[in-house]
Amino acid sequence: MLEQIKEMIMNYVDVEAEMITADARFIEDLHFNSYDFMSFLGEVEETFDIIVEEEDVLNIRTVGEAVAYIENLKA
Amino acid sequence: MDKNKIKTLRDLVAESAECYGDKTFLKERKGKDVAETSFNELYENSKRINRFLTEKFGGRTVHAALIGATSSAYLEAYFGTSCSGNVIIPLDAQLKEEDLCDHLRRSDSEVIFFDKKFMPVLDSVRRNCPMIKEFVCLQDTDKETCIPQIIRDYEPSDFGDVSPEQLAAILFTSGTTGLSKGVMLLHSNLIDNTMCQDNESSTDDVLLSVLPVHHVYCFTCDILLSLRYGATVCVNDSMMHISQNLKFFKPTLMLVVPMIAETIYKKMKAVYDASPDIPMKTIADNVFGGNLRGLYSGGAYLNPRLAEDYRNLGIPIAQGYGMTECSPRISTAHLDDENLNSIGTIVNGCSVKIVDGEIWAKSPSVMKGYYKNPEATAEALTSDGWLRTGDLGYVDSTNHLYITGRKKNLIILSNGENVSPEELENKFSGLEWLSEVLVYAEDGMITAEAYLNQEFLNENGIDKTAGIFKNHVNDINKTVSTAKAIRRLRLRDVEFDKTTSKKIRREQSVRGQLIS
Repeated sequence: MLEQIKEMIMNYVDVEAEMITADARFIEDLHFNSYDFMSFLGEVEETFDIIVEEEDVLNIRTVGEAVAYIENLKA
Repeated sequence: MDKNKIKTLRDLVAESAECYGDKTFLKERKGKDVAETSFNELYENSKRINRFLTEKFGGRTVHAALIGATSSAYLEAYFGTSCSGNVIIPLDAQLKEEDLCDHLRRSDSEVIFFDKKFMPVLDSVRRNCPMIKEFVCLQDTDKETCIPQIIRDYEPSDFGDVSPEQLAAILFTSGTTGLSKGVMLLHSNLIDNTMCQDNESSTDDVLLSVLPVHHVYCFTCDILLSLRYGATVCVNDSMMHISQNLKFFKPTLMLVVPMIAETIYKKMKAVYDASPDIPMKTIADNVFGGNLRGLYSGGAYLNPRLAEDYRNLGIPIAQGYGMTECSPRISTAHLDDENLNSIGTIVNGCSVKIVDGEIWAKSPSVMKGYYKNPEATAEALTSDGWLRTGDLGYVDSTNHLYITGRKKNLIILSNGENVSPEELENKFSGLEWLSEVLVYAEDGMITAEAYLNQEFLNENGIDKTAGIFKNHVNDINKTVSTAKAIRRLRLRDVEFDKTTSKKIRREQSVRGQLIS
């Protein structure tokens, strides 16, 4: 799943693939702006057929946290 | 609609019902369904809210706060309050508990219409704001009074007389003094800004409303203009869903801030780079739903190159300029305007003059003043009614307005959010371990730079100096909205450059070391 998320991230921000690690933070390290990030989560919803709750958004700060969040909903 | 008949918000809502009747005014996605509200329903339901307030308060004028996202209930609460001569106070739905209570107290609110997500803080609001007498949830609930219940239980009651010179709304805006100020807008202010241009929209238009409705830019240009022209407003239920909602609602017009236009363009370009055989125009039609005839951008600086890129796709972006204090429009561009460097031409009825490089505006849209803040009002408004915008700029011979800089220190993020650095700097006051702090925007991120009190730290054996700073910033970030959160930290070894009056200069030649 991390690989799939990486590909999606690279459609939003201009970073090298190796920068997109589980610990990478969306805003600070990958330079997402707030709208990029919300738009990305919308794409995550569609791609993985899940619903991301608005109140959970603040808790998704790193790529690893995003992956864990999706896996938890898919489990 | 005959615009000469419209003097107040009451006139506008009533006349929209008269002219457009059962046509759909608002569309909202509710799961897989779409709820529709007609112009008539908006008018009738607003009159039910009016009856509720009249019965609860005996017909005297009340101030009612309103906090939530765009919805039929939100707008019914807005117009049900303001059209009867009461005062509405639309608040930022991102406000944290402490700021919410502060705004409720400073606006003298006696009613709060709230989104159900605020349920967990109601106990605190009840404790800290004893003047609030009525709590009304915007969604159905059996725990509190709610709008759906009022609509079921109360018959419509005609709005009483309301004068154009009556106060309609108080809107809190970031100020350079650190404390947000309540902009007082009269019915005549909002109506003037709604009526100042012609032929901007029509009954055929479908708007996707994506911006926060408590901002007057969204309220005037999405809501009030659609009431005037009979257009349909589709609610974007979440920033996560803009892409889906564009395809679903297929809007003809959309108001954006530059950040939204940038991100959508980046996404389209990424699709094109991956599949260069598909023309960009086809990609754009797919992304925007195929009916879009233009975007209106405001709230922050729009890069002319981005405007050009959109224009090449057949999607013109018209950039406007204004401020809450001017309801908000001072200038607006037309979709066919070729001048992409300007922020539009000055709207009808508005005069602009440049004083010492600063843009001053005067029009019937200019606010009455700041609520209970005569000092700030005197700073913003001259005795003969000119609004000092705080922005630097000039006007050319074709009446196009240009901005060259900002006189104020306000940080304007690319999403249009205004952040007062002083407001954040004040949150560092009284700390023994800190000597000086400066807050500014760097690479679009709010940055705090500190010069610590090394003597205090040494005396107390504190060596994890970066940690103490980071922890305090984390605590601050818990008390502010996401937009105002401090994202980057710097520590410096030398004190800040100062002016002769010992004030820290906002422009520093040397930056401290990046620590986070």
